[in-house]
Amino acid sequence: MVNSVIAGLTGGGVYALLGLCVVLTYRLVAVVNFAMAAVGAMGAFVMVSLMDAGLGVWLALLAGVISGGALSALLGAVLVRWFGDHDERTKAAVTVALYVALMAIGLRLFGSTTTGARRFPRPFDAPAFTVGDVVVPQSVLVSLAFAVLITVGVGMLLNRTSVGLRLQALSERPATAQVVGIAAPRLAVAVWAAIGAISALVILLVAPRLGGDFSTLGKLITTALAVAMVGAFRSLPMTLAGGLLMGCLEGFTASLGAVQQYRGVVPFLVIVVLLWWRSRHEVWDTAHSR
Amino acid sequence: MSGPVLSLKGVSVNRGEAPIVHDVSLDVEAGTVTVVLGANGAGKTTLMDGIAGLAKATSGTIQLGGTAMERLPVYKRAQAGLGYVEQARTVFRTLTVEQNLLVSRSGAGDLETVYGLFPELDKRRGLQAGHLSGGEQQMLVLGRALISDPKVVLIDEMSLGLAPVVVRRLMHAVKDLVGLGIAVLLIEQFANLALEVGANAYVLRKGRVVFDGPCDELRGDGERLHEFYFGAVPAGAGAEAGGENR
Repeated sequence: MVNSVIAGLTGGGVYALLGLCVVLTYRLVAVVNFAMAAVGAMGAFVMVSLMDAGLGVWLALLAGVISGGALSALLGAVLVRWFGDHDERTKAAVTVALYVALMAIGLRLFGSTTTGARRFPRPFDAPAFTVGDVVVPQSVLVSLAFAVLITVGVGMLLNRTSVGLRLQALSERPATAQVVGIAAPRLAVAVWAAIGAISALVILLVAPRLGGDFSTLGKLITTALAVAMVGAFRSLPMTLAGGLLMGCLEGFTASLGAVQQYRGVVPFLVIVVLLWWRSRHEVWDTAHSR
Repeated sequence: MSGPVLSLKGVSVNRGEAPIVHDVSLDVEAGTVTVVLGANGAGKTTLMDGIAGLAKATSGTIQLGGTAMERLPVYKRAQAGLGYVEQARTVFRTLTVEQNLLVSRSGAGDLETVYGLFPELDKRRGLQAGHLSGGEQQMLVLGRALISDPKVVLIDEMSLGLAPVVVRRLMHAVKDLVGLGIAVLLIEQFANLALEVGANAYVLRKGRVVFDGPCDELRGDGERLHEFYFGAVPAGAGAEAGGENR
């Protein structure tokens, strides 16, 4: 069982990265982005498609990351231009619509679970070290380092730079941010672009481990949202911890023969438990009017 | 005085799809306070939002220092020198006092001028703005407008929900802004207080200008003010529009 938990932890770094992307989008542009993983998957599949067509790996990687960033920036531009004055629920609904559209397009372009699995590059597949019977690959260290880098780097960006101050102002009061002279639409689209590019990189990291089909990768948004909920959509360190916890839980359930095949339900259970835990002291009206 | 720094000609403004302000023309001179008065629902805040770009101006021209503003987005109007103190105390609550000021700083604006004007803020530089009192938050919003190096500051009901002593302190600060050569366009529920600091006044009724002239003409004349606010003057109703606010 311990080996299974450690093995699960290897996926935790990637889950943390996915959760961080969701939290960053919410903190900086106040949108729960259901399309994040699908956008990242689009970028990742652009990369492998270009590689299949004969393009070199670095150029293909660049094209994939730019594609993810551009697609996300386009979504951000739509939200800023046409839904800027709408509430969070409406904006989230727009991203749900885009998620559905991207999944349909992605499945059409890149194939389903059974027909569309691609061979993603595995640059970090070599073993880094062994714990018990578990061989921990380099990709685990890379994803963990990437997650820590984002957590620390974004924290420093927000608190110690003028761009970070503007981003905080934008996330707290978008209209007032413009009133004080912050180019809010441009800044918001830049945030969307950066998050799309990071999402594409994250999906590229996780793709070899999860089988490399568009459907599985796009649906990772469920796990990402569960991880983001651990950090209450605000705390980057808690989100990082939530990712690792999610990996451990997944590893643990994988070790239990009877429930092994249902381990995909873990993110759902985490979401339900967190919702219940956070609203346990609230009266019915308050909990449901939020 | 060297001509209007802010000039509106025939401006109409919608709130959503509803037309609220109709064909308003007004001038704001540099280094003066221009007052906009009117009953609740007269269209004062919509007019301010229209000038700032937060509400849609459907016709007319808005010129700031000779530059057309009406087609510019909100942030470009701010960058061009239009400061706006909105009705609610719109501080960035999670940022400190100093960060609130730094995020707005532009051109020649500097922290020490703001702290000189509001020593209360100087003592709380590192405190999160959400923890300030209502009066201090309003000072911070005024300071934020000042540090953006504005040509004109629009101030919408800054006295809302504040104690009279705090309101007087803020009015004093408005005079200080004018002393720095900044033009102020002021909406204020306490009409007599606004008329004390103002040079020129406009009265709006149902979104249209029904009076345009020096504040002297209205100062202390509650009956006339009431007539402009509501139309006909019922006997003994003069104190309602301008009174109870000294």
